[in-house]
Amino acid sequence: MSALLEVDDLHKHYRLRGRGWWGQRSVVRAVDGVTLRLERGEALGLVGESGCGKSTLARTLLGLETPDGGSIRFEGRSIDEVEPRWLQRRVQMVFQDPYTTLPPHMSIRRIIAEPLIIHGLAKGDELQRRVDALIADVGLPAAVADRRPRQLSGGQRQRVGIARALALEPSLLIADEAVSALDVSVQAQILNLLRELQERLGLALLFVSHDIGVVTHVSQRIAVMYLGKVVETGPALDVYADPLHPYTRVLMDSVPDPTRRGRDRMRARGDPPDPKDPPSGCAFHPRCPIAVDRCRDEVPLLEDWRPEQHAACHLALEPLDGADTNEVDRSAT
Amino acid sequence: MAWFLVRRTAQMFFVILCVVTLVFILLRAASGDPARLMNAADASDEVIEATRARLGLDEPVYVQYLYYLRNLLRGDMGQSFYGAYDVRDVVLAALPNTVALAVVTMLVSTVIALVLGIASALKRGSALDRAVQVYVAAAQATPNFWLAVLLVLVFAVQLGWLPAVDFTGPASFVLPVTTMAVALTPILIRTVRQSFIETLGEDYVRAARARGIPRRKVLLVHVLKVASLPLITLLGLQSAMVLAGSYVIEVIFNWPGIGKLAVDSLVSRNFPMVEGAVLVAAVAFVVINFVVDMTYSVLDPRIRLGAGT
Amino acid sequence: MSGGIVSDRTAASEAAGGDGVGLLQQLRQRKAGLVGLSGIAVLLIVAVAAPWLAPHDPASQDLGNVLLPPVWAGGELTYPFGTDAIGRDVLSRLIYGARSSVLISVCAMLLGGTLGVLTGLASGFYGRLVDTVLMRLGDIQLALPFILIAIVILGMMRDRSPIHLILVLGIPAWIVYARVVRSRVLSEREQAYVSAARSLGASNLRQMFRYVLPPASKVVPPIALIDLSHLVIMESTLSFLGFGLTSPSISWGQILADGRQNMIASPWLPVLPGLAIMLTVLTINLAVEGLRDDGTPRRRRRRSDRKAADADRAAAPARLPGREVSIDGGAGGDRDGDGDPRASADDVQGRDGDGDGDLGVRRNGGGGGQAQPLLAVEDLEVEFDTPTGVVEAVRGVSFTVERGRILGIVGESGSGKSVTSFAIMGLLGEQGHVTGGSITFDGTDLTRAPEAVMRGIRGPRIGMMFQNPVGSLNPVLTVGYQIVETLRVNRGMDRATARQVAEEAFGTVGFPDPRHVMRQYPFRLSGGQNQRVMIAMTMALGPDLLLADEPTTALDVTTQAEVIDQLLQVREEHGTGIVLISHDIGLIGEVADEVVVMYAGQVCERGPTETVLNDPGHPYTRALLGAVPQPGAPEAQLAAIPGELPSAQQPLVGCPFADRCDHVMEVCSRRDPALLPLAEDHDVACYLHHEPAAPEQVATR
Repeated sequence: MSALLEVDDLHKHYRLRGRGWWGQRSVVRAVDGVTLRLERGEALGLVGESGCGKSTLARTLLGLETPDGGSIRFEGRSIDEVEPRWLQRRVQMVFQDPYTTLPPHMSIRRIIAEPLIIHGLAKGDELQRRVDALIADVGLPAAVADRRPRQLSGGQRQRVGIARALALEPSLLIADEAVSALDVSVQAQILNLLRELQERLGLALLFVSHDIGVVTHVSQRIAVMYLGKVVETGPALDVYADPLHPYTRVLMDSVPDPTRRGRDRMRARGDPPDPKDPPSGCAFHPRCPIAVDRCRDEVPLLEDWRPEQHAACHLALEPLDGADTNEVDRSAT
Repeated sequence: MAWFLVRRTAQMFFVILCVVTLVFILLRAASGDPARLMNAADASDEVIEATRARLGLDEPVYVQYLYYLRNLLRGDMGQSFYGAYDVRDVVLAALPNTVALAVVTMLVSTVIALVLGIASALKRGSALDRAVQVYVAAAQATPNFWLAVLLVLVFAVQLGWLPAVDFTGPASFVLPVTTMAVALTPILIRTVRQSFIETLGEDYVRAARARGIPRRKVLLVHVLKVASLPLITLLGLQSAMVLAGSYVIEVIFNWPGIGKLAVDSLVSRNFPMVEGAVLVAAVAFVVINFVVDMTYSVLDPRIRLGAGT
Repeated sequence: MSGGIVSDRTAASEAAGGDGVGLLQQLRQRKAGLVGLSGIAVLLIVAVAAPWLAPHDPASQDLGNVLLPPVWAGGELTYPFGTDAIGRDVLSRLIYGARSSVLISVCAMLLGGTLGVLTGLASGFYGRLVDTVLMRLGDIQLALPFILIAIVILGMMRDRSPIHLILVLGIPAWIVYARVVRSRVLSEREQAYVSAARSLGASNLRQMFRYVLPPASKVVPPIALIDLSHLVIMESTLSFLGFGLTSPSISWGQILADGRQNMIASPWLPVLPGLAIMLTVLTINLAVEGLRDDGTPRRRRRRSDRKAADADRAAAPARLPGREVSIDGGAGGDRDGDGDPRASADDVQGRDGDGDGDLGVRRNGGGGGQAQPLLAVEDLEVEFDTPTGVVEAVRGVSFTVERGRILGIVGESGSGKSVTSFAIMGLLGEQGHVTGGSITFDGTDLTRAPEAVMRGIRGPRIGMMFQNPVGSLNPVLTVGYQIVETLRVNRGMDRATARQVAEEAFGTVGFPDPRHVMRQYPFRLSGGQNQRVMIAMTMALGPDLLLADEPTTALDVTTQAEVIDQLLQVREEHGTGIVLISHDIGLIGEVADEVVVMYAGQVCERGPTETVLNDPGHPYTRALLGAVPQPGAPEAQLAAIPGELPSAQQPLVGCPFADRCDHVMEVCSRRDPALLPLAEDHDVACYLHHEPAAPEQVATR
C-alpha cells in the first residue's frame, strides 16, 4: 500500500513586485524542491523559522495554493486529478491564530456544522448530534455551542478550530503553528488534545511549528526546513539526540533551556538571508559556524547518512561539538 | 519616487480631461441651443444662423468638442453672452477672491482643529474634551447658510460690528470665514483627536518616553509627525468641501468669487460664464488633491520607500 | 494606551462570563442610538402625515395677520409659531417642509445607497477590470465640485419635481457607499476565516454570502445615516439658494430664504426652519453614535464598590499584613531611616509589625551586604480603566533587583508582568493608576516622583526594551534620528558628537555598517536588527537598570539567542541590573539570577533561579515547568493547567490559582495566601507550605 501522503520535489514560487522606486520584480522560492512522505497515523513535525516556507508548504498540501512544480500524491492519487472535495474530506487544517480563523458572526455550533453542511454529510437532528459529539470530543463544555467566538478564550477557540477540522473525519490533520498564539499552560492542553486525538482516531498529523521543542514532543518524525528546502529529516528522537545538520543544531541550541545554563551553544552568525536573494551553494553557509569553501559553491543534496536520518550538508558527519561554537563572528552579517 | 510623480501627474491630467468633457456635455447637451439663447426671443433665423456659425455651432458635436479643447489649451474660454467680456478674464478675476476665502478658512480651521483636537485627545474625558464634543456635534448639525444668516442678523444688523455683504476689507473676512470654519472644524477636530489618541497608544511613543525624551518633544516630533498624516489627507479632501461650501457662502455674503459668479450667471442663463466658472473650480479642485497626495507621500517614508515589500 | 497591555485580560474576562457586563455596555451605547432612531421615525411620520398634522393649509394666506410673532413672544394660539410676510402659518409650513426635506433626503439616500452597495459589491467580487473602471469613475466624480454641478444641473431646469432632486442628490452619493463596501469586502476576503472556509470546501458563492457579506454589511447603516444627514443639509442648501423644489412645494431651506427677507422685523422666521434642520441632523447623528463602538474608558466602578472590595480583602486576614512582612523586610526599614515621608495608613500599620525586623536583616544579608537594592518594588498595585470597567492588573507585587544581577519575571499573558514594568517607568498612560505600594529606585520613590525627576530617570538611569521591536521605533523617523535625539536630549551632546557615539553604539551591537543603518527607517530593518537598534539606543545612555519586556518574543529562535547574548554582554560590561520579563520559563531559567513567578497580578513564588526551578514550591510554578514540551520524553503527557486565568475585573477572594490547582484545599478559595519564606531567600504564597494565619494571630504579631 502506498503512503498516505507523498510529496515529491515540490516547488512554490511567489513573484513579488517591488514597491520601491522603480518596482523591480523578484521571485521568492518559498518552497524549493521539498520531498516528504507521511504514513497513515504518523505524526510528522515540520520545523523552521519564519520565512522558511513551512506554512506555504502546508497551504499547498491543502490545495489553498497551486504548486509550481513537483507532485503531491494522497493515498496514491495525484491531487491534480482528484476532486477538491475528495481531498478536503481527507486533509484538514488547524490554523495558527484562533482569533482570526473563526468567523465572528457565526455561533460555535454553526461554525462546526459548516463543513458537514458544505459536504452534505448530515442534516437536522443528525447534524446537531454530530456537532454536539464533536464539541465533547475536543473537551469543550456543551454550553459553548450557542456562543460567538469572541466570547471564548484563545484555548477554547483553538478547540473549536480542531472540532471544525475533525468534522469531516479527515485522515490527515495539518496543524499550522496551532499553538504558537497560546499561553504555555493552554498550549500544553492543546498539544495533549492533538496527541490524544491522533492516537484515538488514527489520524496522521503534520505538525508545523517554529518551536523545535514542541515539534519533537508531538511528532514521531521531524523535518527541518531552511529557506524553502528540507535540510534534515529523521526520527524525532534520533534527530534530537544527534543532529546531522548544523542548522538543526543551532535551532536546538537556541531554545533556552535552564538545564544548560552557561554551557557552550552553537550559534548562527548574522541575520537570516533575504529570501529574494538567497545565498549561493548551501543556503545556510553564510551563517554556518563550520562552513568550508565547498559550501559556498555546491548545493548539498538530501542524503541518508544514517538509517532513516537524512541531511543536506557536505559536513553532515563532522563532529559539531568540536567547532568553534561560542565565538560569534559579529563582523560577518 | 520619480515614477510615482510621473504616474500621479498623468493621472491628474486625465482627470482634468474628464472634468472638461463632463462640463462640456453637461452644458452643451443640457442647455439646448446657445445661439437661440444668446439672441432675443424674436430674432430672425438668419441672425441665429449667423451666431451659430460665429460660435462654430453648425459643426457636428465632436468637432465642437475638439474646438472647445483647442480653445481651452489656448486659454480661451469664450465670450460672455452679455457684454463684451472674455470669460477667462472674468473668471480669473473672481478666482483669487474664492481662493483667499478658502485659504483663510483652511488656515483658521486647521489651527483650531489642532489646538482643540490635541487638547481633547490629551485630556480625554475632561470637561474640555466634553465641551469640544458638544461643539463638534452642534457644529456638524448646523446648516452653513443658516449660520451665515444668523451671524449677519446678529453681528451686522443688530450689533453693527462687522460688514455683512461685499468685500470691503479684512473685516469682511470675519463672518464668512467663521461660517465656513464652523462647517469645517468638526470633522478636522474629530480626526486630529482620533489620530492623536491612536498614535499616543503606539509602542514607539511609550518607547520614546522610556528613552527619556520629554513629553513635549515626543508630542511635537514623534506623535505630530505620524498623527498629522490623516489630517493632511483630510485637508485635501476637505479643500474640496471648502471650495464647494464657499459658493454658497459667496452668494449669501455677496462675495465676488467663483461661486457667486456661477450662480449669478446661471440665473441669467449666461452659459459660457457658468462653464468657465465650473471648469476653473473643478481644475483647482483636482490640482489641490494632487498637491496633497504629493505632500503626503513626501511626509510618510512608508509610502515613499514602499513598506511591506 | 492601556489597550495593548490589558487587551488579553479583557478578552479573557469577556470570555470568563462577562456576558452580563457586555449586555449592559451595549444597552448604554444603544440608548443614544435608540433616541436617534426613534427621532428619525417621528420625523418620517410627520413627513408622511403632514396633511393631517398641519393645523392650516400651508399656502393659505391670512393677510390680516402678517408677521405674527410666535406664542412665546406674545403671539396667538391659532398660529403657534407665528405667520410669515403674507400671513401663512409657519408651523404648518414647517410640517410640510419636513415632507420634502426628509422624504427627498431619505429617498436620495436609498437610491445612492442601493447604487453604491451594488457597485461596491461588484467591485469587491469581480475585482480587476470592473473594480478599476468603477473606482476610477468614482475618483473622477470625487474630483468634481459636487454642489456647484448640482446647482448648475438644477439651475438649468425650469421645473423641479422631487424626483429631479432625488436623482441629483442621490446618484452622486454612490461612491461613498461603493468605496466603503468595496474595501470591506476586500479586507473581509483576506480574513483568515475565509481562507479557513475555503479549506473546508466552501464554494465561492458560499464564501461571499456566508462569510464575507455578513460582517462587511455592518458598515452600511452608519454610512447611510451619515449620508442622510449630509443630504438633509444639501437639500436645504439647494432650496435656500432657490434651486430646490419649485413652488408650490415647500422645503425648510425655502422657508428660511423667505424668512430672511424679513429677518430684521421677525427674526424667528429664519431661525425656526434652521432649528428644524439642525434638530433633524442632530437626531440622525445621535443614531450614528449608537451604531458606533465607543471605546472611551470609564472609571465605572464607583467609590463605594471599591470600598466593598477592599473590605473583602481585609476580611482575608492573612493577606495584607502577611505580605507586608516579607515586603518591608526588603527595604522598608532602610527607608524609614532615610526619613521618607510616606504616610499611607497601610504602610505605617505594616511597618509597625514586630516581626519585620528579623526578616529585614535576613533579606539584607542575602542581598550581598548591599545596604540598598538598586530597585525595590513593594506591594505595588495598578489598576486600569477600560470601557468595561476597572481592571486590577497588578495586585500587590514586591521584588528587588541588585546591580549587575538579572531578575526574571515570568508569567502568562495577563499576569501583570508588563504592567509592572510600565509602572516602574511611570508610563502607565492615562488609564493606568498606581493605587498602592511603592517603587524605590536608588532611594527615590518613583510612584511619587514628579515628572521632572522621572524624566531624569527614564533613559539615563532606567532603560527599557519592548516586545515589538519594529513598533517601538517611530516609523516615520530614521533610526539615526531617533538615537541621536536620545543622546542629545539625555546627554546634552551636540549633533556631531551624538552621531559619532551613535555609530559606535551601533557598531558594538554587531552592525557592520553603522552609517548605513543610521539612515534606515525601522520598517526597512528586520525584527532582530530593530531589537539590536533598541539595545544600542538604550545602552548608549548607560542606564543602571534595564527593563526588558519580552525582548525576544517577536523574534525567531536563532535571532533570539543573539539578542539574549547581547543582553548578557551588556550586564558583563556595564554591571547593569536587568529585569527580564518573559512568558518563557525556559528563557528566564537560563538567563536570570533570581526569578519572580507572577500569576493574576500577584507574585506566587520568588527566589534564586536554580532553587525555584529545581525545587518549585508553588503548584503554578510546577505546572508551568511541566507544561513546557520536553523533546527527550515524547511519550509523557504535558502537565497542562486546566481552565483559564481568572478575570481581572472581579475582586479576588482567596488564592487566584485555586480554581486551576490540583492541590486545592478548602482554605484556598477563602483566603489569599501570603508570600512567606520557604527556605533561605525562597518565598512562596501557598497554603501547602504555610498554615493559614488565624485572624487573632495577625492582630498580635
